[in-house]
Amino acid sequence: MQKRSVVHGLAFLALGALIAAGAPVAPTQAQPGRQVRELVLVTWPQAQDPQQYEAARIAAEGMRRLGLRVTVRTMPWEQLADYIWYSRQKWDMTTWQMVGRPERSDPDELLVNLFSSSTAKDGYNFIGFIDPKYDEIAQGQREATDLTTRKKLIVQAQEIIAGAQPYTFLVNPKSIYAFNNQVWDPATIVEQKGIGIKNFWTFDGAAPKGAQKDMVLNAQDPVQAINPLYISGKVDSWITELIWDRLVRIGPDGLPRPWAAGAYKWLTPTTIDVTLRPGMRWHDGTPVTADDVIFSFTAPKGGKVPMYRPFVANIADIKKLSATTLRFTLAKPSAAFLTSTLGKINLVPQHVWAPMLQSLEGKKENAESLQEKAPIGSGPFKFAGWTRGQEVVLEANPEHWAAPKMRRWILRTVSNVEAALGGLRNGEINFLSDYLGDPAVLARLSSQDPRITVIASTDIGMQFIAYNERRPPFNDADFRRALSMVIDRNMIRLVAYKGYGVLADSPVSQALEFWHAPNLPQYAYNVAAARDLLKKAGYEWDPQGHLLYPASQTETLEVAR
Amino acid sequence: MTRSSTRWIAQRLAQMLLVLWVVATLLFLIFRLMPGNPLAAYIDPNFTADQQQALIHEFGLDLPLWQQYLIFLRASAAGSMGQSFFYHAPVAQLVWEALPNTLILVLGAVIIAFLIGATAGAFLAWKRGTALETAGISLALAVRAAPEFWVGMILLAVFSFSLRWFPTSGTASPGAQYASLWRQLTSPDFLRHLALPLVTLVLYLQGLPLLLMRSNMLDVMEEEFIVMARMKGLPERRILLRHAARNALLPVVTAFALVVGYSLQGYVVVENVFSWPGLGRLLVKAVAAKDYPLAQGAFLLIAALAIFMNLAADLFYTWLDPRVSYAKR
Repeated sequence: MQKRSVVHGLAFLALGALIAAGAPVAPTQAQPGRQVRELVLVTWPQAQDPQQYEAARIAAEGMRRLGLRVTVRTMPWEQLADYIWYSRQKWDMTTWQMVGRPERSDPDELLVNLFSSSTAKDGYNFIGFIDPKYDEIAQGQREATDLTTRKKLIVQAQEIIAGAQPYTFLVNPKSIYAFNNQVWDPATIVEQKGIGIKNFWTFDGAAPKGAQKDMVLNAQDPVQAINPLYISGKVDSWITELIWDRLVRIGPDGLPRPWAAGAYKWLTPTTIDVTLRPGMRWHDGTPVTADDVIFSFTAPKGGKVPMYRPFVANIADIKKLSATTLRFTLAKPSAAFLTSTLGKINLVPQHVWAPMLQSLEGKKENAESLQEKAPIGSGPFKFAGWTRGQEVVLEANPEHWAAPKMRRWILRTVSNVEAALGGLRNGEINFLSDYLGDPAVLARLSSQDPRITVIASTDIGMQFIAYNERRPPFNDADFRRALSMVIDRNMIRLVAYKGYGVLADSPVSQALEFWHAPNLPQYAYNVAAARDLLKKAGYEWDPQGHLLYPASQTETLEVAR
Repeated sequence: MTRSSTRWIAQRLAQMLLVLWVVATLLFLIFRLMPGNPLAAYIDPNFTADQQQALIHEFGLDLPLWQQYLIFLRASAAGSMGQSFFYHAPVAQLVWEALPNTLILVLGAVIIAFLIGATAGAFLAWKRGTALETAGISLALAVRAAPEFWVGMILLAVFSFSLRWFPTSGTASPGAQYASLWRQLTSPDFLRHLALPLVTLVLYLQGLPLLLMRSNMLDVMEEEFIVMARMKGLPERRILLRHAARNALLPVVTAFALVVGYSLQGYVVVENVFSWPGLGRLLVKAVAAKDYPLAQGAFLLIAALAIFMNLAADLFYTWLDPRVSYAKR
């Protein structure tokens, strides 16, 4: 008995010692001197995103060739986002991605928000990239209404970024979707530049070949909300796009085109006249009026529609010139206005939303917590049903001037990607709209089963490694350039992305041919050249091969936690 | 019901409340101590500092922790579970929508698994020492040990992808609409969707009642009243069913109540494999997205049900076996 309690006591002590050892001890690891500390690259767990994880491993391997000690640390997305976003002084490097969205067909959003010094404190410039010249150019392109001038500025902005390498751009991945060509006429499936075949134009135009007139699609994530005043999950946006019309839509070519606005005309760089298409009706039968449109653009100006507020901030005034004509006056010229405002704001019926917004007065909730039982828009599809966690059903709106050819659009939540593939094969779903599995598996499926057509298109989105410029040595552009040269991006493209992607070199995707800058520096994989670059910048190596800062500099930071 | 047993029940209820309060407090703290931040779900190039502040205020995260805790306790005591951060919808509504799917799948599976398991366990005990017993036990153990997702995928591959007898996902065919929940749950379409997840869960759950019943039976069969019954010349089947099995069933009943209580959280793995819209998937998403109200509310509800099922098992015991009495203790 006594022996046993001694054993217990020892175990207890050992446990205590372990806990004490595991606790964040005073950081004594920071070597005084010139040796660069151990650097930490954070990424997603393999189970959550095998591609980013694999890319991070390959990148770290390359960095070690410079004599750096690099640790790859994984965190689930929610934790990683919190760490990168809210602990801006603490982290070294992270893998990150931007996903493709139709509005990003205009480079404005990414060029301004990702690298402006104004968003470095608490916005999307989480890397802390500061360059006054860049700020000027990025702002300049926003205000340039002349297309040639604007394009020149956008190319310049990309050149600055490519030179400074605040990110190492990895790939513009390919988005891969598939459909059953016995159910849908392949000629009516539209490939949108940078987006792929899962897009508004396919949904609006896809023609059924036979008796099956319902398009059954899949998404892995559940639908969060169906709300025109709330930008919620990515899947939700597929739905809002179909129920609610917008004045302008981004066409398959990636450029804005008139939609609910039958026409528009710039009068001056800050004035644009918009003419509404006649005869439009809300799904409850009432006509769409100019007042509804004004309401849709002014409602976000109040505090109750926070997510759409940035997109209307530049509107100084909207005047009703006639029952169908409106004049928008902008505070500042904005070249991206068509895409990022007219193409972004959902037209909502005033008679539905004005009372709902009024009911929020004096409460702390905002429009995001309002869920209509049966959402009402004026788009080509009408809401028909939503079983949470299972499916959303929309039906074609035959009254619409661009009425869909299908009968219903049914989005199924399928959490198991294998089951989605199985469903595509046995006909349960006929449009594979969300596939994060191995592209090779899908390609094999289509070669075995001729009914399945797979289409891969280069995405607007991009994958990259971001460096925290608040923390040396990442504040040194030469150091970042050297990193880009030791990361074998082509190997990442082939191994991590199975070849389904093109090498990225800019925040503007290769898919956007019009805007993408040609002749950007490519930082080909070359360890010797990278070491040379560092040597020229004053870096040295100790006898064990560890990288040392230039002579004037010592390590001042702890290892990232 | 005697006065002492009334008092016993009152005591148990008081204990339950205490346990619930502890659980609520732990839940409140755990989710806030976990790394991560509910705002992370909103990060976007257009996400501004104003929006962050607005969200923090809306979620009540700008209040001191003790104040958040008091608000949470008060709301829970009033039966309100608050508003989900992630779905921007009332937690009660979200839980209520997922609960029927979980209840049907889980209760169905537990009941079938216990019926099959207890019967097979009794039978195998009776066949002690035969090749049949060895084979039966090995099979039951092998099936029980196989991971649920693997069994689920095999069933899908065979009966859904290849034979096409059953659908691959969800609780209803695409676009199927029903006048009421009851109509849906009694439709052949629903049963077809239920079949594979149910079988997967039954295979997973049958092991416990089977082994428990078998070992209880072996114990009971040593007892004198069985010898007595044999000496009376009663038929073997009657001894098995009327005398041995009934007595061996008691612990199985307790296990049943506990498994039901435990299972109300849903089986995430099975729900994921079959895209079954139940509580399990809802909870996993809530925890991942740091949706404090949804996670707290749903876990608290599950804890309450589990604790209640425990009490129910205790009460059932006194009824099943009059020798058991809590009042006298």
